[in-house]
Amino acid sequence: MKNFFKLLNFELNRFMKLFIILLVTIAVIQIIGTIILARSYMMQANQAVLQGGMSQQEFIDMYSPFSMIHVIYSLWFMGPIAIGVAALMFYVFFIWYRDWFARNTFIYRLLMLPTSRMNIFFSKATTIMLTVLAMVAYQVILLNIEKTIVKWLVPKVYRQDLRVVDLTVGSEYLSKVLPQGIVEFLIAYGLGLGFIVVIFTVILFERSYRIKGIIFGLLYAFIAFVLFVLPLSLQLFGCIYLYPMETLIVQIVMWIIIVGASLILSRYLLKNKVTV
Amino acid sequence: MNHMIEVKDIHKSFGRKKVLKGVSFTAQKGEITCLIGVNGVGKTTVMNAIMNLTPMNRGEILIDGEKINKRSYEKITFIPDTITMLPTMRIQDAFEFMNDYYNSWNQERAEELLNFFRLQKSDRIAELSKGNKAKANLLLGLALDVDYVLMDEPFSGIDIFSREQIANVFTSHLIEDRGVIITTHEITDIEHLIDKVVLLDNGIVVKEFNAEEVREEQGKSIVDVMREVFRI
Repeated sequence: MKNFFKLLNFELNRFMKLFIILLVTIAVIQIIGTIILARSYMMQANQAVLQGGMSQQEFIDMYSPFSMIHVIYSLWFMGPIAIGVAALMFYVFFIWYRDWFARNTFIYRLLMLPTSRMNIFFSKATTIMLTVLAMVAYQVILLNIEKTIVKWLVPKVYRQDLRVVDLTVGSEYLSKVLPQGIVEFLIAYGLGLGFIVVIFTVILFERSYRIKGIIFGLLYAFIAFVLFVLPLSLQLFGCIYLYPMETLIVQIVMWIIIVGASLILSRYLLKNKVTV
Repeated sequence: MNHMIEVKDIHKSFGRKKVLKGVSFTAQKGEITCLIGVNGVGKTTVMNAIMNLTPMNRGEILIDGEKINKRSYEKITFIPDTITMLPTMRIQDAFEFMNDYYNSWNQERAEELLNFFRLQKSDRIAELSKGNKAKANLLLGLALDVDYVLMDEPFSGIDIFSREQIANVFTSHLIEDRGVIITTHEITDIEHLIDKVVLLDNGIVVKEFNAEEVREEQGKSIVDVMREVFRI
């Protein structure tokens, strides 16, 4: 366990620079976007009221008051989130491959550590999960900062103030990353963890059998996907009928099977098959 | 219990190419065993197989009678021909990393080796010359209190002075009592120190001999035997 935490700390430190750059990029783009959107709304409002002879109420009736909804549905907001998601997706692969292909042979050292090789696996998976959670928490903080910026730039009469909770519930995408209840949270992040574990297994297949490994890995990922969607698909085509709670239980069982199989396979590959 | 590394009938193929076709030999603790063969003969593959860094297709490797496991890495270390630390690390960071994970890490010996190789703790690995990288690599392996040391081409591509310095390690207390397996082309630097030679060719051991016996009884050097076997 001690070695796991040491490796986790080591992996987090290795990612920190890149992660901070990512966070700063997201903050800069979102904040600039918030300022641009709020100012352009106010410019439009001032033109309509001062030059177009429209009353404030008429303008609000016509264009609706400015709120964070305007921001979160814009490219300024979703773009950086997409960059963050893409960066993390890239990192899921990079976290393994850099140890083989960078200007060093660090994989030798990792595999020769006097600890279970699964600690390497768990530390890398935990790093990704912690990073995702940190990024989500950071987004909540950013939302509050952006709300404050909107308050500075848009007078109350033109503004509709919404709580962060309302914003996340109202947004299709944000409601996925910021679930409202513990069950939704466990489902969303459980799925994420399952995805990471399966991808790691695919990577280890490739690192063990090279080209053949890509085929084995893809086949494994396909089987895992089919297993996971099977209960839902069978229901969709009317082959079986399950109550929502039953569906949830079946999905949880499938998740346990997939994650369990991935861990067993990964352990086997790391212990017996992986090659430097 | 025999204190030795036993390599028993190991086979390894890469795709259709059979690199090892039943390699067997032993390396005793307290002896320097040298694996010799032309490029591509599978010397590094043997080293990787001993450390469980490359799976074998067939065969068995035992270290003091046991198959390699996580505890084995406290009694055997491998020094490959490139450094096994991150380029962004300073030597000090590498020391801390090793100290964190290995109970066998000997800080005193690490400091001694640091002085021996005239390296600085503040040196960043990426900024070291090739020779100094080889020395740092050797340092990290030799500062572990282990019974066996595996070295893959420690003299590869480095200047004559660094080579001399590394060769001096073999005559020092840093090596004595340990079992060493070394692969090298630069045999002349350490020829007089080698106890046992394993000649590899075409995926098999073509000759295994005690270097001292050959020297004393037949008056031949290792290179002479190599010439005979490889018909160079």
